[in-house]
Amino acid sequence: MTPGPLLLEARHVTQRFRLPNGQVIEALRDVSLNVCEQEVVALVGPSGCGKSTLLRLFAGLARPADGSVLYRGRPLKGVLGAAAMVFQSFALLPWFTVSENVAMGLEARGVNGAARRDAVARAINLVGLDGFEQAYPKELSGGMKQRVGFARALAVAPEILLMDEPFGALDPLTAENLRSQVVDLWRDASTGVNTLVVVTHSVEEAVFLAGRIVVFGSHPGHVREELVNPLPYPRQERSPEFDGMVDRLHAILTATLLPEPAPAAPQRLIPFPRVHVSEVTGLLDHLLSRPDGKGHVFELAEDLGVDYDRMSAVVRGAEQLGWVTTPGEVVQLTLVGREVMAMDDSARKDATRARLKKHPLFGRVMAMLVESEGSMEDEEVLADLTIYFPFIPADSLFQTIVEWGRYAEVLDHDATAGRLMLTGAVEGAPDVPAG
Amino acid sequence: MKPLRLPPALTPPAIRRLGLADVAILCLLGGAIAAVVAFAREFEAPLRQVVQIDLRPSALPRYTLYSLARGVIALAISYVFALGFGWAAAKSRAAERLLLPMLDILQSIPVLGFLPGLVLGLMSLFPTRNVGLELAAILMIFTAQAWNLALSFYNSLKSLPDPLRDACKVAGWRASRTFWQLEVPAAAQGLVWNGMLSMAGGWFFLMVNEAFRLGDRDFRLPGVGSYMSVALDQGNGPAMALAILAMVAMIVCVDQLLWRPLVVWVEKFRLDETAGGGGGEAPATSWVLEFLRHARLPRRAALLRRQAYRTALRAARPLERPLAIARPVIMRGPRFALAHPVARWVGGSLLVAGVALAAAVGAWHIWLLLRQLGARDWGTLIGSAALTFARVMGAVIVSTAWALPAGIVIGRSPLLARLLQPVIQVVASFPAPMLFPLVVLLFERAGVGLGLGAVALMVLAGQWYILFNVISAVAAIPQQLKDAATAFQLPWRARWRSLYLPAAFPALITGWITAAGGAWNGSIVAEYLEAGGRLRTTAGLGSLISDATAHANFPLLAGGIALMSLMVVGWNRFVWRALADWAQTRFGFAQ
Repeated sequence: MTPGPLLLEARHVTQRFRLPNGQVIEALRDVSLNVCEQEVVALVGPSGCGKSTLLRLFAGLARPADGSVLYRGRPLKGVLGAAAMVFQSFALLPWFTVSENVAMGLEARGVNGAARRDAVARAINLVGLDGFEQAYPKELSGGMKQRVGFARALAVAPEILLMDEPFGALDPLTAENLRSQVVDLWRDASTGVNTLVVVTHSVEEAVFLAGRIVVFGSHPGHVREELVNPLPYPRQERSPEFDGMVDRLHAILTATLLPEPAPAAPQRLIPFPRVHVSEVTGLLDHLLSRPDGKGHVFELAEDLGVDYDRMSAVVRGAEQLGWVTTPGEVVQLTLVGREVMAMDDSARKDATRARLKKHPLFGRVMAMLVESEGSMEDEEVLADLTIYFPFIPADSLFQTIVEWGRYAEVLDHDATAGRLMLTGAVEGAPDVPAG
Repeated sequence: MKPLRLPPALTPPAIRRLGLADVAILCLLGGAIAAVVAFAREFEAPLRQVVQIDLRPSALPRYTLYSLARGVIALAISYVFALGFGWAAAKSRAAERLLLPMLDILQSIPVLGFLPGLVLGLMSLFPTRNVGLELAAILMIFTAQAWNLALSFYNSLKSLPDPLRDACKVAGWRASRTFWQLEVPAAAQGLVWNGMLSMAGGWFFLMVNEAFRLGDRDFRLPGVGSYMSVALDQGNGPAMALAILAMVAMIVCVDQLLWRPLVVWVEKFRLDETAGGGGGEAPATSWVLEFLRHARLPRRAALLRRQAYRTALRAARPLERPLAIARPVIMRGPRFALAHPVARWVGGSLLVAGVALAAAVGAWHIWLLLRQLGARDWGTLIGSAALTFARVMGAVIVSTAWALPAGIVIGRSPLLARLLQPVIQVVASFPAPMLFPLVVLLFERAGVGLGLGAVALMVLAGQWYILFNVISAVAAIPQQLKDAATAFQLPWRARWRSLYLPAAFPALITGWITAAGGAWNGSIVAEYLEAGGRLRTTAGLGSLISDATAHANFPLLAGGIALMSLMVVGWNRFVWRALADWAQTRFGFAQ
């Protein structure tokens, strides 16, 4: 199907949130995106890239801080009546039966009496839930609950179906089954749904569903790249064309997730990803078991059973410590990484300590601590982190620093007193001067 | 072949023969109507300066019903208040900043001190009727019930998952529909459980509310509380026993007929679908609810209600068009006020200014009263405050000494907890002050004066909160932790030290806060009471307040109340709160 006239439009949209601790996070910055009739658009990217935020803006559930959202050329006021939404957590009212949940949106659209009963029955029939009309959500499996979610959306015969990770909470088998049904529903003219916008974590899902895939980058959220997916429907997974498309999208995502480090500014402060020590050693362990100690990010993610978002964070952590390199989309264990893995526990801690002292961020924290005689209030460190990384929640970065510092026995943290301190082992100044 | 039986939800609401259940419901309905009528007549009765309380046993059921009616009316008002208050605090940040501290203070100060002012004020509004007195009693019960309900509704509004809200918005629900079909059901569990607590709390001052002396005037309302107080005055032992019995019977009936069914019914509105308490918990049951579910009348009533609703809609149809035209015009003002930033700012400022003005006027009046107190009065006030403070702490320590181990033993065993929890709930609902005179007489026989005896009375007033909190905390310990303790063969002493006590600690502090509040409240009736036809007092802030009330010494009363409020709120803020925060981070299970 060829895209029709312009339906939804985000113009230079910026959105901010205030965290409970007062820090203001920019979820989206200057994002522009068009959605046309008859299109299926997938929004992909790492978590925290604002893709769900954009979906909520399209639904009219929130107003952008700057910029505007337009529906058929008119600025959106309030909730977009032409759209229906499907949620990752289903968002069914537990005290409503399946029928009542499905009927939720009909009354406000002026559908009453017999027409409403018909619409509910039709929607329930479309998703194959006949016989469950009087059941309560708690009696249903996750897959059936999401069918109710779809039925509720379809009942209002929306022009646009907005889906926020609709298959994210389902097991893989159920997800696959529902996914192909969604494509069928979209291609079936009688449902009235002709435009889909789906937020997803899964590359395969995006390639399977979407005609256009929008890749987001994070901190703050922005559109990195758009990719047109010309494969004809219905799409065959595991076909060479499909796999080719998946690989292309993987390549784009990898470039987004693992940007080549800018060589010009080696001392530039970079945030350390929120990863645990055991995750990084787990990755190195796995790489050791592979031929040549290397592998594709997405293969690694699949082998280790984590999503690519998490995987790439672990890879970035290992890379910052110099234990892996990432030429292109491939993760390669370095010589240092091999050496570290061969060490016993205490030698490994020593090696980590040496690496952390050279790391710009850890080095800076340690230098600050040395300057204030080995101990600082948490608040001071958090304030400093907020200045340098305004787009990242400072709390989680702080916790990562504490965990790695404790592991390497350079830092200690007194949670009761709220103080971060150097352990006795590192009285000497770190190798990186305070900037 | 067996006949096919449809599940209850699918059976058409056909009306067959009336069953026994329906007869029972009709009788209950008739009884309720009769009680309301009798109560209304009582309401209208011209004020008799001293109501004659009839001590014959045959009068007691009527009195008990009067008391119950006051409690229920107060609870209904409390629910209305809680919904409005909680909603406002959850929806507007400005309101939140004002209302939450207010709630915090209101729920911890001894409201009994406001009774004299309230009674006199309302009496002057309705000089010839009992209405003023009734209203004062109901308002006093209300002040013991409303705050935790409001807080519970606020909390559940705040913790409502965002996707559910979004789903309602996308469905195009109006705010009123979201309120009744999302927000209230989601809060139902908390509202019912807290309603149970509130009802129990409302009985606490029953005797004082119904029989209360101000100067030489004796204000009395017919009720089980005033029955008890007259029986005490006359030293009529059988009548006292009967009053206590009637009270217990009422509490058990309310528990079985109202709260049990409600608790089971609101299970339907649980938001998280995993069964609470880490599984293995038998679902609560209620024979009354089973009975009702089998009865046909309620179903017929639902049908009738739906028909009535439709008829009303049809009747209102001619009005629809003018309303549809008028509504946007009428709503324009409020809409503008809410949407326009300048209008919102002005409205907010006006609200803040109004509150500030009211606070200033209040402060000025208190100041006028307090100015009349001399240095000696203040000396007495501070001395008695220190004494009562010592008693409150003593009561908390004594309560902890028995309730902590008992709570751990009960909470450890699911069987024991299930068996005892309902019993303890009923016992805890019993208004402790009704027992005070008997306890005091007992103590006197043993040679203990009221100075120490008051501590025991305050224990009676506060101990249950500690027991409840400890039981529920210990019952909530993850099974795996208990398994680990067993697997590593921890001796029982180590098991208590390393598992049960730390796990119970955060809840213990919550219990302390409430128990201390109960003890402070209790001091007003514990340090100054009539037993065996004789007035007994001991020095303390509570007796000072009671004495000032009895002698209509308003400056001293105001000073006493202000001092007590200040001490309770200050201690809560600076000691309990800090302790609770520390305990939560140190011993909480939440990671």
